[in-house]
Amino acid sequence: MSTLFLQFLLQIIFLTIVFLHITKKNLDAIFAYGIQSLAILILLINSFFETGDISLLFIALLVCIVKVILAPGFFAQLIKKNELIFSASTYLNMPLTLVVLATLTAMAHSYRFSPITNIIPANETLLSLALSTMFLSLFLIVNRKGALSQIIGILSLENSIVAFAIFAGLEQSLGLQIGILFDISIWLIIATVFISMIYKQFGSLDVTDMKKLKE
Amino acid sequence: MYQTELLFILISLFAAALLCFLSRNRRLIEVSSLVASGIALMESVAISLQVAHFGANVSGFFSTDALEAVIMLIIAVVGFTSTVYSIEYLRRETSKNIIGLSGVSHLRSRVREYFILLNLFMAMMFLAITVSSPIFAWIFIEATTLSTAFLISFYNKPSSIEGAWKYLIINSIGILLAFFGTLLFFPAMNSGIGNGLITWHLLATSAANLDPLVIKVAFIFIFIGYGTKVGFAPMHTWKPDAYSRAPAPIGALFSGALLPVAFAVILKFKMITDATVGSLFSQNLFIIFGLLSVAIAAAIIFVSRNYKRLLAYSSIENAGIMALGFAFGGLGIFAAMLHMVYHSFIKSALFFSSGNLLLAYHSAKIASVRGVINIIPVTAVLFLTGFFAITGAPPFGIFFTKIFILSAGIKEHPFIVATVVLLATILFIGFLKHASAMVFGQPPADIVKEKEGLWLIIPPIALMALALLLSFYIPPFLYTLLNKIALHY
Repeated sequence: MSTLFLQFLLQIIFLTIVFLHITKKNLDAIFAYGIQSLAILILLINSFFETGDISLLFIALLVCIVKVILAPGFFAQLIKKNELIFSASTYLNMPLTLVVLATLTAMAHSYRFSPITNIIPANETLLSLALSTMFLSLFLIVNRKGALSQIIGILSLENSIVAFAIFAGLEQSLGLQIGILFDISIWLIIATVFISMIYKQFGSLDVTDMKKLKE
Repeated sequence: MYQTELLFILISLFAAALLCFLSRNRRLIEVSSLVASGIALMESVAISLQVAHFGANVSGFFSTDALEAVIMLIIAVVGFTSTVYSIEYLRRETSKNIIGLSGVSHLRSRVREYFILLNLFMAMMFLAITVSSPIFAWIFIEATTLSTAFLISFYNKPSSIEGAWKYLIINSIGILLAFFGTLLFFPAMNSGIGNGLITWHLLATSAANLDPLVIKVAFIFIFIGYGTKVGFAPMHTWKPDAYSRAPAPIGALFSGALLPVAFAVILKFKMITDATVGSLFSQNLFIIFGLLSVAIAAAIIFVSRNYKRLLAYSSIENAGIMALGFAFGGLGIFAAMLHMVYHSFIKSALFFSSGNLLLAYHSAKIASVRGVINIIPVTAVLFLTGFFAITGAPPFGIFFTKIFILSAGIKEHPFIVATVVLLATILFIGFLKHASAMVFGQPPADIVKEKEGLWLIIPPIALMALALLLSFYIPPFLYTLLNKIALHY
């Protein structure tokens, strides 16, 4: 696959995270996450064709089943069941959020992070973009008040790390593959159990309703 | 070498978890957990003795060096006493309706769930510390997050769910950053060894070939990631919530065992980072986060209104002190490791005492607990002694380790040492204020004096006695292990 197409996929991942910051509807957020996971899936399949490593195909299959089909489906069902059409608001207002997004993106492209974005010098721009998706995902978790958005933020952070690893030439690392496999399983369990528990106890998924532990 | 003993520990813990899953007999669940943690304790002692005499083993899926042997000992001692305490504690909670669920079968299933998760939690900690691959260490530490999240939410109350959620979100971010940092250690390795599993030993022996600039960034991610699990400030925010909502024995395991495990993983990466970029870089990180942790604990101590949260802030402070010890090097490292041992035992004893307080007063608020000496006198003595011990009052070992750590740093970092002394004094006064108010004074009218359960006071007494004994006599094998750690890390 051409570098241009890979760059396009990474831009899709980046844009989906920006969209996750902007959107107010939970279903739109789930859809954006599904698209993001699909982009990761295509990147993994591309790596399989380039390297011939069969384990990558297995990981891609797993990503397809869990991240592209199961997780979005599960979240959509949860939204439908609990009528959670709109997500909880953000801590920062929209203009400020956009300013922070721009700052974080610029930060990822700064010389401070050049040691890691230069791991493969030919991919420096792509690695900087992948790093900025990591920062934006982190900010999504911090800035969103909804438990569902926070989970999507964590899953998005994981997608960003995978994207970075692929462009850093680490996709064949057994460590990455085992790590992805394990993380997916863990978060599927957590999302399944905890979202329901929170909704049952607090009547909403807005984490600002959690005030029992304030001293 | 040592693989059989390790497998024996893991098999016994997994078998106990399986038995708890299959059995509905409470007695069988308790006995199987007790036997498993007992086996883990005996085997850990055996492994530590062997490592001290015959040296480390770095081949195979598991590796055992001096650091791992000491951490295994800590997990085993705290794990065994926590299991013993849990049995009686859960019985009391059940009888006093604290678990908060109606129906005998429901209660039985909650107790069963507790012991399944307890055994799995311990098994994951043993795996995380002994596994020879950094990626598997990461996986097993993440696995502890899952098992402990359900233990924090054990009481199924809104505050427990809230504590568990905060713990999950903050630790998941931390653990993903640690994953990213771990991956950054691999690029330089891939060309040399193909796609196999990279081990700690391989990373250490190839440290000179790693890119220093990448390793610096990687170590920052590692430090923040695993530092979240340790509870260094400012990543500590989950700690007071999780500690205050988890059952008391789980709090003991969190502070006494999980903290050293995560700390040890940072130390393993520190050793590799030091070999690549020199020790100054990691030293500065340890000093910044160590000092910040002590300062945050000192700032909050006076306004804390919950005695379990007080213990959490004490853990943050002690993690900071240990970090400073490792930063100062030399005698500081030896003292920091010894400090870790003392802290684990004393803090676990304090958590058990806090469990006794909760059973007697039905409240974790400091203001609600008065006159403990009149209601549960043995616990009162344990609690007060524990507070003196943990804040570094003589004759307990923490007094000496603090002195050694600070003296190791006074020549090169006099300002930092002076600040720590000041903060430690504030912490001591703060703790003393809360502890003395709780122990003495007039007990509330509705609280009646009750007989303290023998198995609720034996575990904390045993831990305090062990900490006191180790303050004056360090067995030769432990001394050898600590010396080896000081030389390598």
